[in-house]
Amino acid sequence: MIPDEAHGVIGLQPSACTSCMICVRECPTWCIELESHTEEVSEPGARRPKTINVLDAFRIDFGLCMYCGICVDLCPFDALAWSPGFDHAASSAGGLVHGINELVNWWPATNPSPAD
Amino acid sequence: MISLALMEVAERRTPERAYRVAGAPALRIVVLDVGLACCALEVGAAITAGLLVPDVAGPGVPKGIDATVLLISGTVTDALAPGVLRAWDAIDGARHAVSFGACANTGGPYWDAPTVTKGIDQLLPVTVYVPGCPPRPEALIAGLLRLVDETATA
Repeated sequence: MIPDEAHGVIGLQPSACTSCMICVRECPTWCIELESHTEEVSEPGARRPKTINVLDAFRIDFGLCMYCGICVDLCPFDALAWSPGFDHAASSAGGLVHGINELVNWWPATNPSPAD
Repeated sequence: MISLALMEVAERRTPERAYRVAGAPALRIVVLDVGLACCALEVGAAITAGLLVPDVAGPGVPKGIDATVLLISGTVTDALAPGVLRAWDAIDGARHAVSFGACANTGGPYWDAPTVTKGIDQLLPVTVYVPGCPPRPEALIAGLLRLVDETATA
């Protein structure tokens, strides 16, 4: 009854996320929160260490989320994807906010990890 | 007009539309649907799909009902908020509020609008929040079943 392409819930693949903030900035309701820090990585043979972003926190407030999928569409690294599912009611408004631990579990099993 | 209809429901002190949840015969709740925006269409879809069954006992809370559920589905503007509150106050006995959809949960897409309530829980106690914009009819049923779980353990 529920089509496969239904906007159920949004999953995250943290290893693919570069903390570019595009999803955060383009979200119409600003329901995404992202925290990251930068680290220097030295590679052998490189002239100087390069700086990479390390993802610390990624939260989606599904109480605000319009399930429009703009974040999923715009992510340049395919770190966000739709998953089926609809049973995510909560007993508090704060219970609708989900962090990396839950979002990882909602990464669709049919999607190979873009990082692999 | 919606506001007037709400007031009427509140004045008469009887639920205008009562439903039971199909697929859970042991479930004894009456749902009072306050449809304020597009989320209300999903409630209609749930009825069409047979997930929510209109209560045959007609208006009034039928015998054996444990609780009346006020389902707030839609945008609660400042103009409509008093109507919602009166509908809430008009419920006799055990009652629970279910916030259905982003607008009722947090204001949703209108989070920045000065005339929209930033979540119905600012006005009355909410037992279950159903996320979505709008949530699927199945999400409504899942939310109502969750309400039963919540109240059973409470």
